[in-house]
Amino acid sequence: MTTVISVTGKGGVGKTTVAALLVLKLVRRGRRPVLAVDADPNSNLCEALGERFERTVGDVREAFERERDRMPPTVDKKLQLEYKLMGVLCESRGFDVLVMGRPEGPGCYCAVNHLLREVLDRIVGGYRFVVVDCEAGLEHFSRRTVRDVDKLLVVVDATKKALSTARRIKELAGLVRVKRQYLVLNMIRSVEEERVLRQGAAELGLEVAGVMPYDENVLQLDIEGRPLTELPEDSPFSHAIDELMGFLAL
Amino acid sequence: MAEEEEFPLDVSPMYEGERVRKEDMFVELGGPTQPGFELVIYEPDAEKVKDGHVELIGPDLTEMEEGKAYPYAMIYKVWGPEIDKDLEPVIERRNHEFQPYIQGYMHLNQRDEIWVRISKSAIKKGLKSLKQIGKKTIELFKSELPFIQKMEALYITDKEEVEKRLEEARKIYRARDERTRGLHDEDVEEFYQCTLCQSFAPTNVCVVTPDRPSLCGAMTWFDCRASARVDPEGPNAPIPKGECIDPIAGEYTGVNEAAVRLSGGEYSRIKLHSFLDCPHTSCGCFEVAGFYIPEVDGIGWIHRGSKVRDTPIGLPFSTIAGSVGGGRQVHGFLGIGIPYFYSPKFIQADGGWRRVVWMASDLKERVADAIPDEMKDKIATEKEAKTIDELKEFLKKVDHPVVKGVVRPVDGKKITEGWVEEEAPPEAAAAEAAAPEAAAAPTAAAPAQQPAAPQVAMPQFPLLPTAPAAQPQIQIPTTPAGAPVKIILKDANITIGKIILKKKEEK
Repeated sequence: MTTVISVTGKGGVGKTTVAALLVLKLVRRGRRPVLAVDADPNSNLCEALGERFERTVGDVREAFERERDRMPPTVDKKLQLEYKLMGVLCESRGFDVLVMGRPEGPGCYCAVNHLLREVLDRIVGGYRFVVVDCEAGLEHFSRRTVRDVDKLLVVVDATKKALSTARRIKELAGLVRVKRQYLVLNMIRSVEEERVLRQGAAELGLEVAGVMPYDENVLQLDIEGRPLTELPEDSPFSHAIDELMGFLAL
Repeated sequence: MAEEEEFPLDVSPMYEGERVRKEDMFVELGGPTQPGFELVIYEPDAEKVKDGHVELIGPDLTEMEEGKAYPYAMIYKVWGPEIDKDLEPVIERRNHEFQPYIQGYMHLNQRDEIWVRISKSAIKKGLKSLKQIGKKTIELFKSELPFIQKMEALYITDKEEVEKRLEEARKIYRARDERTRGLHDEDVEEFYQCTLCQSFAPTNVCVVTPDRPSLCGAMTWFDCRASARVDPEGPNAPIPKGECIDPIAGEYTGVNEAAVRLSGGEYSRIKLHSFLDCPHTSCGCFEVAGFYIPEVDGIGWIHRGSKVRDTPIGLPFSTIAGSVGGGRQVHGFLGIGIPYFYSPKFIQADGGWRRVVWMASDLKERVADAIPDEMKDKIATEKEAKTIDELKEFLKKVDHPVVKGVVRPVDGKKITEGWVEEEAPPEAAAAEAAAPEAAAAPTAAAPAQQPAAPQVAMPQFPLLPTAPAAQPQIQIPTTPAGAPVKIILKDANITIGKIILKKKEEK
């Protein structure tokens, strides 16, 4: 049984931080192996996890399209894709990272996407947990390049834009298959901020699964470009993630 | 023999697709950092195959270092009274199917790009030798494919030996590819449909044959066959060929039946290798748009993504694509995939490459190796011709086959009359100008026997009637059995004095 958790939100609200910590904590708690999927071309989940990637799924797709006409007629394209995708998987301790990369260029990608979906589905099915850092358009879900979501976490901070993004995501999520949706409040500095956001959540009809405080430790790592593997276990953010996981029964 | 002891690992199809992660692996064999290949060879002399025997050249598992990658070759020899060389690739493909049944053994892909990993837990469970893997694999082959009576394996993990034999293996793969390229429409019993793009183009169905790949360019007959094997009711269901009605145009009873079924009765005939008559339908996914240029009685091509904006008919790719998408048969236009240029039956009903008069320069360069030498310098690009007049000049200059009349290469038959230079009487000229496409409107000058007659009207240079003040008249003969008539107007300015809309009377 594979549980898919996707973490989304407006850019800058800290969803990559939340996603990365979820991956690391799942591994530390023995819920391995975990697949981390970076489905937002603007963030870098891989780096946050202390890993480096070389090539993305998008690169594989493009290379495939370019070589398509030169492939011998009896080469099984699905098996080829599986081999190439295995090659871009970034393997680490307890978790692997798959970077989706940029979306498609012009042209017809129906056939290759059809194959990609099947291959990705199989790869994803080999993990106990999958944490997807996805951009607010939920593109990879609407294109069905990642399978259905068990838990969708929408991360918001105290800005008005974040909440309106959350509303949009909620609508979009209705179109792809999401089992449960939650709001995660991030970078909270005061009780007042939390109260306002909880009210916004209630208006949206979304449950608040966790409240992440503004944490200097996180900021410091970000400034220094250091991975979140170095976040101390006893930092406020780390504790808040533990509580979030408790709430979600992970 | 030590190998007589029981095989220590569980073997079952449920382990198929099992992947071994790097931190769980004992060793990697082949893969992206080491050479690897698998090969099945048919040995005609049964005596030369030692059934069940496995030999190993190079280090075995007990001599390998944990976490490292090693070269890997698996060469099998098979014998059976029903086996021949053509079955080699069919049997070989099953290696990828059977080996993953072994718990703790991952196997990806085929041929000279295989990736194998053996897990630490497999070693813990007692796996000591690759020979055990070899023996178990042979057992699986023989039990699943009983026509294999004798099978022997040679596994190699020595780098030099693997690399040496890799060269030989590649030659064999290439020879097989050549034989496959020699597979044509007449050699198979089934074609395949493809509806993979239906989420974007709901009414399109491609008929994919060995000589006609899909119009999106991505699906060959082999791809469809592989997909149909996995899901015969899926997007690539088989289409039985039926009887061949016309081998040159590529018309088959089975395909026509499928056309009726898949188009909801809208179309009943598809000529696979014809541009002008009962062409295959086009949806918006096509890679290349072909357009008929009646003034020169030739065909032009431009592809999606071409940098060229000026086609001689004055429309860029996007406009052409927009007007012929939707899964329709649109006479005078055809959407194809780039691989079709390489087909030996490329629009052969209409003369193949001898009917091609223009191509976007970047397209022409891309498929240059598909163009026969005799035509290479006779096909214009936007560099030689941007307008119809420039095109006519160019084609006359190079003496393109359309000028004097095209002799079809496939059967030597002359299928067009060439350009007629003299001026014809205005009515005839106007009629010609109004109905240049085949299988469409019957012309006054050459009354067709029936609407579906594949006769291409001889185009005249369009004449602007100067002297006669009378309006050009077009006689449309009545058609037998009230068959519908299609009227195609080209370069026509239409002014409407009045439109009357009337509700159809209820009977």
